[in-house]
Amino acid sequence: MIGSLAQEVGIPQAVAEADRSRAFEAAVREHQAMVFSVAYHFLQDHAVAEELAQEVFLELYRHWDQIESREHRIHWLRKVASRRCIDQARRRKLRNHVSLEDAPEPFTWMPAADPVLKRYIEQLLGKLADTPRLVVIMRYQEGLEPAEIADVLDMPVATVKSHLQRSLALLRRKLSFASREGES
Amino acid sequence: MTEFEDQLRRALERKDPSAGFAARVMARTTQKKRPLPWVNWRSWTAAGIAAGLCLGALGLEVEHRRQVEQQEGQAAKAQLMQAMHITSAKLHQIHQRVRGRL
Repeated sequence: MIGSLAQEVGIPQAVAEADRSRAFEAAVREHQAMVFSVAYHFLQDHAVAEELAQEVFLELYRHWDQIESREHRIHWLRKVASRRCIDQARRRKLRNHVSLEDAPEPFTWMPAADPVLKRYIEQLLGKLADTPRLVVIMRYQEGLEPAEIADVLDMPVATVKSHLQRSLALLRRKLSFASREGES
Repeated sequence: MTEFEDQLRRALERKDPSAGFAARVMARTTQKKRPLPWVNWRSWTAAGIAAGLCLGALGLEVEHRRQVEQQEGQAAKAQLMQAMHITSAKLHQIHQRVRGRL
């Protein structure tokens, strides 16, 4: 009697658990590049970014039942990844922070070959302060509009726009300076 | 979209984590966390309940002893009163006899 009751209750639970596990794994595979890239572009450390991305997905697993849709999941992942990136940067004091304004100018112009230029831009991005860096990542990696970035990062739209303008101006100045140096 | 912004977008293209990332995440979801004994709230709750039960039992025992002693005291008092009553009656009888002879 008790055994049959346990079977009746247990089997649907096991099936539901397996379904949940499969759905979660599919979500990890779908969004792993997004979460990892946010962490990697922010932290610029492959191993730390991967660990952080794993933690984000484990948190998603714990909150799986609260996620209402795919869009909600994407928004949730961006939000949690961003928050964890900021926490990680504060906790580890990853690098001896040198603001982009104070960063030394490069001695030679980086050739326009894409991989090198990409790496150079990544390095410049790494010199931005935490919040502006996240704003730039959300804008150019994730392609979000300022209002969407404001929603993800819990800040006013005007602040997002201000971070974007200042960051772009700084990055552009650094790149154009390097370009002039290379030409002369 | 300016050329510069296009460069930024290319520099910030999404990258995949190393192979087996999803499998590693899945493996971690099945790991049971082993909480340290001192942070296990269940242990603390059980210890609290046990301590409460011990204190309760001790309190009951003390109360029981107090009641037994009170009952014994009442009984002793009743016996003493009865003895005094009997003694008083005897003395009264003796007194009456002595007065009768005189």
